[in-house]
Amino acid sequence: MKYDFAVIGAGPAGYVAAKKAAGAGLKTLLVEKKKLGGVCLNEGCVPSKTLLQAAKTYHHAKHGSVFGVTVEGLNFDFPQAHSHKNGVMDKMRAGIAGLMKKYKIDVVDGEAILKPNRKIEVNGEEHEADNILICTGSSPAVPPIPGIEQEHVVDSTGILERESLPHRLIVVGGGVIGCEFACMFASVDVPVTVLEAMPEICPNLDGEIAGTLRKELAKKGVDFQLGCKVEEIGANSVQYSDGKESREIEGDLVLVATGRRPNVTNLGLEDLGLEFSPHGIKVDDRGATNVPGIWAAGDVTGQAWLAHAASRMGEVVVNNISGQTDQIRHDTMPAVVYTSPEVAVVGLTKEEAEERGIKTRTGRIPMAINARYIAENPEEAGLCKVVLEDGTNRLLGVHMVGGACSEMIFGATAMMETELREEEIEEIVFPHPTTSEIMKDVFMAVR
Amino acid sequence: MATPIIMPRQGQSVESCILTEWKVSVGDTVAEGDVLAVIETDKASFDLESTAAGKILALFWEADDDVPVLANVAVVGEDGEDTDAFRPEGQASAPVAAEPESSAPAPAPAVSQASGEPVVAPVAGPVSMGASSGVSPRARKLAMKHGLDPETIQGSGPEGRVIERDIEATLEGRPRLSATARSRSLSEDLEAPARGSGLGGMILSKDLKVPGSVEGAEISPVKGIRKVIAERMIESLQSTAQLTLHTSFELTQAQVYRAQRLEAGQSKVSLNDIIAHGIVKALQTHPELNAHFLGNRIATFEKVHLGVAVDTERGLLVPVIKNASDLSIEQISAEVKKLAGACREGSISPDNLSGGSFTLTNLGMLGVENFTPVLNAPEVAILGVGGIALKPKRTESGAIEYVDTLPLSLTIDHQGVDGAPAARFLQTLVENLEENPGI
Repeated sequence: MKYDFAVIGAGPAGYVAAKKAAGAGLKTLLVEKKKLGGVCLNEGCVPSKTLLQAAKTYHHAKHGSVFGVTVEGLNFDFPQAHSHKNGVMDKMRAGIAGLMKKYKIDVVDGEAILKPNRKIEVNGEEHEADNILICTGSSPAVPPIPGIEQEHVVDSTGILERESLPHRLIVVGGGVIGCEFACMFASVDVPVTVLEAMPEICPNLDGEIAGTLRKELAKKGVDFQLGCKVEEIGANSVQYSDGKESREIEGDLVLVATGRRPNVTNLGLEDLGLEFSPHGIKVDDRGATNVPGIWAAGDVTGQAWLAHAASRMGEVVVNNISGQTDQIRHDTMPAVVYTSPEVAVVGLTKEEAEERGIKTRTGRIPMAINARYIAENPEEAGLCKVVLEDGTNRLLGVHMVGGACSEMIFGATAMMETELREEEIEEIVFPHPTTSEIMKDVFMAVR
Repeated sequence: MATPIIMPRQGQSVESCILTEWKVSVGDTVAEGDVLAVIETDKASFDLESTAAGKILALFWEADDDVPVLANVAVVGEDGEDTDAFRPEGQASAPVAAEPESSAPAPAPAVSQASGEPVVAPVAGPVSMGASSGVSPRARKLAMKHGLDPETIQGSGPEGRVIERDIEATLEGRPRLSATARSRSLSEDLEAPARGSGLGGMILSKDLKVPGSVEGAEISPVKGIRKVIAERMIESLQSTAQLTLHTSFELTQAQVYRAQRLEAGQSKVSLNDIIAHGIVKALQTHPELNAHFLGNRIATFEKVHLGVAVDTERGLLVPVIKNASDLSIEQISAEVKKLAGACREGSISPDNLSGGSFTLTNLGMLGVENFTPVLNAPEVAILGVGGIALKPKRTESGAIEYVDTLPLSLTIDHQGVDGAPAARFLQTLVENLEENPGI
């Protein structure tokens, strides 16, 4: 069949783009080989955040004595937590299915192979489209560590299927995903060790923010071994080296979270003359590849590993094929780590700005100056940092760790998208008492 | 008693109205309440009624004038009464475009605008006919407040007049500047594009451009020598009837001459010197090429003042060997060296860059064969020299032999010189150069 627009992959980039295109009157095809919603809904964002909330609830109940709350017979029913998680996923999946039906999008269950001249082969049938969006997402990377094939060694997808708590969890990789799972299990009293090769966890974050997060997670009982590389995974232990000597640590469940790889294989991309590599499909800021009519969005481009970036990239592509000009702005893309405390950041760190030759003024302020924060998080240390462009006073970056800061970062994003400066931000009123006031108070500390 | 009729104030904020049409003429008799004219504001039109009975003694405004409220528009009275006292200030026969603004226009968007609201860019909009019928004061005020030039906006009022509605429509349709972009565009005098890369096309700080910048190109101002060359070249091409005749001469004798000089211990001369010398000699028998075409007269020079093109770092310079016809080839050679050196050093005096009657230009050392040199106007001729070319030649015995030749390209101004005389000059020159160069 002939379509105006064909989307390969129904994750956050795909289903959002399909809906937008269909809404704009384009005859749209959506091909998905696994489940609607992609990794985000089924193997990533939604299930992990749901379980994190379950773990957080247990943790708050257990550590409520400062508020005068003590609980007898506190119990964490992991299967129940999974049941709730599965219910959330089912609901969301049904929602997407309903949305696709409402917009009269042709959803095909199958694995697509791209052919030259914008043809798509799926389930033995061939289709053609004026424009094709490839958003096949990414998969967990599999590092060449001996012992990785064992059953008790899982990736982020596998660990979400476990319905019983391990005795001891070892996390290989102290990035965002590793830290979130470390936090989740530690919160329900599972001893956790995180093995990270770099000198600090979450290397993409501002160093001080990452360090603060690490210390808070350590308070929950996470043991961090930094600058350590894994040598071998045994039957119930992991051998690693800190650069000087080899050490061994026990654990009956090993999570390998060393990064993700774009899904660029088995799609027929090689025969299209498309510019791509194992690091992703090359696109410009409009989402266009080097082949006219072929676009890409989301994790498969390797540009940003975030569901909301994927959705926006999908929308940008649909705008561009509908005759409007649009582009993705990565500098104003917020990112969150859903640990407890949360981390929320948008924009440049001081170091990143200076690498680009931008002179900065910066400020940092502990969240402890905020009334609501200390009222609600008496035993946690949070931090807020801000980066301004010296001269224009334009907001370049906001970096926070503490409480539920993920719900505030959009405000900083909006300020940066409109290039607000210190003087304009000072006029915005933040409600009191909220932790969000920290985003305004931090300006007092700017030098 | 002569009574002035005034423009009524139609509302608190109305400061002037357009007098679109007179309904009476001077000399007409009117009663109180009679309609004298049709008046229009931005929002509505109404009748101007006479507040007195009598004869129309004077009408102070023309149709389509913008009249300030409370100003006198006419005088009603009896024959012979003086009306001058009622003549309003600033009312001449000036067309509507000369706005009598009752209030000074608002200053350009103040930097201290409240609460970071993105403001429209001061960008030139589509140029249109708005200017000819003027701009209403309300429109002007609104435009100035938002940094728009009202003269560039399409008017939808009477006769294309720009009214407040038009400014509002323009403001609504345009992408906004971010707070930072607005601040920078004002303080650094930068230009905003029609659409930016921010939210909904918002113009961001990085979208701002230096006025006159070009995407992907480095901008350098045209000034100094470049400016002079640019002006002179275009002037030359536009004010003359240029065409180029191509020929070449056999180098054999010239090379022999040069070798002889060296053997005889004489100073070295270049091929360029030999050609310069040859030109000077040939012009003696073809003076019509040693002239300036001056429109209604031709100035034919007694002596040859030979301009020699010199390529310098800063651009092309043409120093002049004055009275070259008095000089020997050695002297010409020495003079060329001296002038070229001064040009390259930047120490050449302006006096030495003018007063030429014929120009020589050589691109042979850079591999050029034939070219069409541009006249050094108002000179009527310029000779270009190319690089050595090996050509077949038929000898007297009918055999073919190969000889080195040098191409010559003579551009003339056909306004002053015709093709045949120019060709004959070239023949003489070629003869000189092939038979007795340097002499």
